[in-house]
Amino acid sequence: MRYVLRRLPVLVITLWAAVTLNFLLPRLMPGTPAGAAVAKLAGQGSVSASQRRAIEVMLGVPHGSLASQYWQYLKAIAGGNFGISYTYFPEPVSKVIGAALPWTLALVGTVTVMAFVIGTLLGVLAAWKRGSIFDTAASVGCTFMAAFPYFWTALVLLYVFGFVAGWFPIRGGYSASVSPGWDWSFFVSALGHSVLPAFTILVSGLGGWVLGMRNNMMGVLGEDYIVFAEANGLSPRTVALRYAARNALLPGVTAFGMALGLVVGGSLLTEVVFGYPGIGYLLYNAVVNEDYPLMQALFLVITVSVLMANFVVDLIYGLLDPRVRR
Amino acid sequence: MDTRPPSQSEHAPLLTASGLEVLYEPAGGPPVHAVRGVDISIGQGQLVGLVGESGCGKSTLGYALARLLRPPARIAAGTVVFDSTDITNLDRKSLRGIRHNGLAVVLQSGMNALNPVRRVRGHFHDVLGAQQRLHAAEVDNTAETLLSQVELAPSVLDRYPHELSGGMRQRVAIALALALKPRLVVFDEPTTALDVIVQRAIMDTIARLQAEVGFTALIISHDLGLVLGATDQVWVMYAGRIVERRDSPALATGPLHPYSAALLACQGDPTAEKVELGGIPGSPPDLSKPPEGCAFAPRCWLSGPPCKEEPHEKLVGTGSVTCHMAPTKLEVPKLIRRVDGPSEPIPDSGHGAKVPTTASAAVAKGRGRHRDATTAEPLALIDVTKDFKTKRAAPSEGVQAQGLVQAVAGVSLRLEAGQAMGLVGGSGSGKTTLGRMIVGLERPSSGSITLGNLRVDKLRTRDLPRYWRRVQMVFQDPYAGLNPLHSVGYTVGRAIRNHQGLKGDDYRRELLRLFDTVGLAPPEHYAAKLPHQLSGGQRQRVVIARALAAKPQVLVADEPVSMLDVSLRAEILHLLGELRKNTGASLLYITHDLLSARLVTDQLVVLRQGHIVESGPTSSVLRSPSHPYTVELIAAIPTVQQSQTVPAGAITERPGEPV
Repeated sequence: MRYVLRRLPVLVITLWAAVTLNFLLPRLMPGTPAGAAVAKLAGQGSVSASQRRAIEVMLGVPHGSLASQYWQYLKAIAGGNFGISYTYFPEPVSKVIGAALPWTLALVGTVTVMAFVIGTLLGVLAAWKRGSIFDTAASVGCTFMAAFPYFWTALVLLYVFGFVAGWFPIRGGYSASVSPGWDWSFFVSALGHSVLPAFTILVSGLGGWVLGMRNNMMGVLGEDYIVFAEANGLSPRTVALRYAARNALLPGVTAFGMALGLVVGGSLLTEVVFGYPGIGYLLYNAVVNEDYPLMQALFLVITVSVLMANFVVDLIYGLLDPRVRR
Repeated sequence: MDTRPPSQSEHAPLLTASGLEVLYEPAGGPPVHAVRGVDISIGQGQLVGLVGESGCGKSTLGYALARLLRPPARIAAGTVVFDSTDITNLDRKSLRGIRHNGLAVVLQSGMNALNPVRRVRGHFHDVLGAQQRLHAAEVDNTAETLLSQVELAPSVLDRYPHELSGGMRQRVAIALALALKPRLVVFDEPTTALDVIVQRAIMDTIARLQAEVGFTALIISHDLGLVLGATDQVWVMYAGRIVERRDSPALATGPLHPYSAALLACQGDPTAEKVELGGIPGSPPDLSKPPEGCAFAPRCWLSGPPCKEEPHEKLVGTGSVTCHMAPTKLEVPKLIRRVDGPSEPIPDSGHGAKVPTTASAAVAKGRGRHRDATTAEPLALIDVTKDFKTKRAAPSEGVQAQGLVQAVAGVSLRLEAGQAMGLVGGSGSGKTTLGRMIVGLERPSSGSITLGNLRVDKLRTRDLPRYWRRVQMVFQDPYAGLNPLHSVGYTVGRAIRNHQGLKGDDYRRELLRLFDTVGLAPPEHYAAKLPHQLSGGQRQRVVIARALAAKPQVLVADEPVSMLDVSLRAEILHLLGELRKNTGASLLYITHDLLSARLVTDQLVVLRQGHIVESGPTSSVLRSPSHPYTVELIAAIPTVQQSQTVPAGAITERPGEPV
């Protein structure tokens, strides 16, 4: 418990810093969204005073001191109010993000966990059977797989299985014939749509986990306590799992924490390629359409989730490694 | 230690090995022939020691006997028979049966022998549970009994390894090995890296358990003194072979192989009136190209024409020796000597001429040409303390649960210009912290440190580099102390540029002179080497050369020989002594090793838990100690009743003449 309490202040301070930076950065950029919109219109002809007024009302212009703006901003965030999205006008940003988040969490989250679990297990096996055919195949295969750019993998999969073979849908999160809801047909449709993107992310992520775990494990296998455990007549299974893998897992947990934090950011290119309605696709649209409120809110959500994930992993690490516990 | 089973030869052998060969076949490297034809047997209840320098194959042999070798190492030929079962090619599963049936191993120092994320209780559950199904309560009971056998409290069961001290961890490892109800225990360097007093306590525990439980033991160690005191029989190993196999008392008093004699000459009694130390120049051969003829010949002062042939084993009483020259009267050349009262290292002996890298030769050449130190000044410490904040106290050390630990508690001492002072004590005595404060790496919590008129404790960080021209430190670990990516010439050269600002020819001359001074000749040859191409002793010489580049007034040497083989100890100590004489620098020698302190220092300060408990002239402190702690430190040194009783052997007065 003391361990948790000691880490809490750090979390609070970093969170505050992230929120504040998110407030300051757009304000450090020259110009305002309204100014930019007016300038764009002015390129097509003169802008009347009422037009300018309408744009300013819609997009908002800063008023009041920086401190009061900051206060307003904090209050708004606390109430979950991130403003109105330009792209999805007049939907509020919080609602837009709320709609995209489950898609990303379900797809990228599940696949990240799967990649970690499968990759780590394969890594343990490769290291334990070091020098075997399996080890060689896994190591070479993973290096090979990790060398592909993942959007390229995505395009190939899309072409082969979606376009040529037609086994899987080409884009979207579910087919137009079903409507989102807790029913079987929607679930099947969503699952079918997620196969190709999931496979893409898995292929691109798996290799790293396998190789990382294999290398950690090889290092640990050289430790005295492994030799001693073997000399004490423990079963190979116990030595491999409880002594070697258990210790080799520790560095992987930290990396997993970072990977989890990035889940919320979505897998940008994958989502764009497959037109998947997740956060990554949303971010892409926000950038393309200069949708500042959406962008700002997305950045905040992504930052906060990275911080939270790291905090949680920090706590888990404390459970796993008694040496960092105090 | 006194209760030892009766004589050995009647017992049926418990473990035998014949024609044992071990090969390391690293990928992309030449195969290394680490064990080359070893025939041995250990009788029931015997305590056997296996000694040799690092790289002689002793640990490999121990691992081979316990069937713990892993790729790229393998048993290439020969057999290992344990309790009339041939275990040479036994598969993993049957091997586990053998282990549960009594073949146990305790690894080097036990520091890393325990799974860091598992409590001690878990270790016992794993080991006991692997043998038979037991209830948790039964396991706990057995574990508590085993822990009490190694003098640990049951509360240790709930600790993680990192919460235990080194000695406690080693005791846990021994208890785990005992859980196998072993009939043979192989101890691989069981006390290396432990504090001297703890070391003694562990050895006593092993001896007591051996008597109580009655297991047979093989103790592998680089420390001949320790092994001789604790075993019935000793095997001396060199270059993958057993070169001498003798009953311990016989070996202690009359070694037959020059290598054994030389190893024995590296031991000494710091409390004797006259202390001399020999060394073995050079290093063990590279076993990827096993030498023709006698492997020891290149380092042997007795070697002659017959040594070009492979020597054969000659039986001597109950033992044997493998040497053409044996049995000859063995006089080992000594490198350094201390006699009660004012004394000096032995003047250059014939030995130096034979091996060009020996320090003495080179120092003699450099003598008189340079006086390195500027006018030396005394170093004074007044009431120095150092507090450390602790995260969590190690339960063994008896420190308060949390808060401040006083590493140094009010130490005052004065190192006169040109003097050599020893700072001795066990681990946790504050000796290293004191050294670090003197060179400005730590700042005292209170008190003052002055060099001449300079307040060292008040120095700002940016003034430290200038201070380091006057005070230099030689660290313990010559392996970690050098950047592996730079040639040693570059490393020393950097120090010359930084401290002396020399360039061009002057720089080059100074670099070569320094290499010459520390006995690395020819200097051009050594300066171009990378650290991994040098032996441990040569690396430590480079570290000393780097310290000398600053022309320091004070040299602080923190355990400069403790990581080196004993065979190199005398060389380095001799070098330190010579340098001090030739440069006029004063020396602060920090160590737990009383013998080396006796050899290089005039004054001795004994520290215990941050306090000075005793100080005075080195020989009188060691020969008539007044504080119980000093007495305890001295008692912890394994004593070999070698020298005094035996007129022949290693100890004659004359500096060794090549025979």
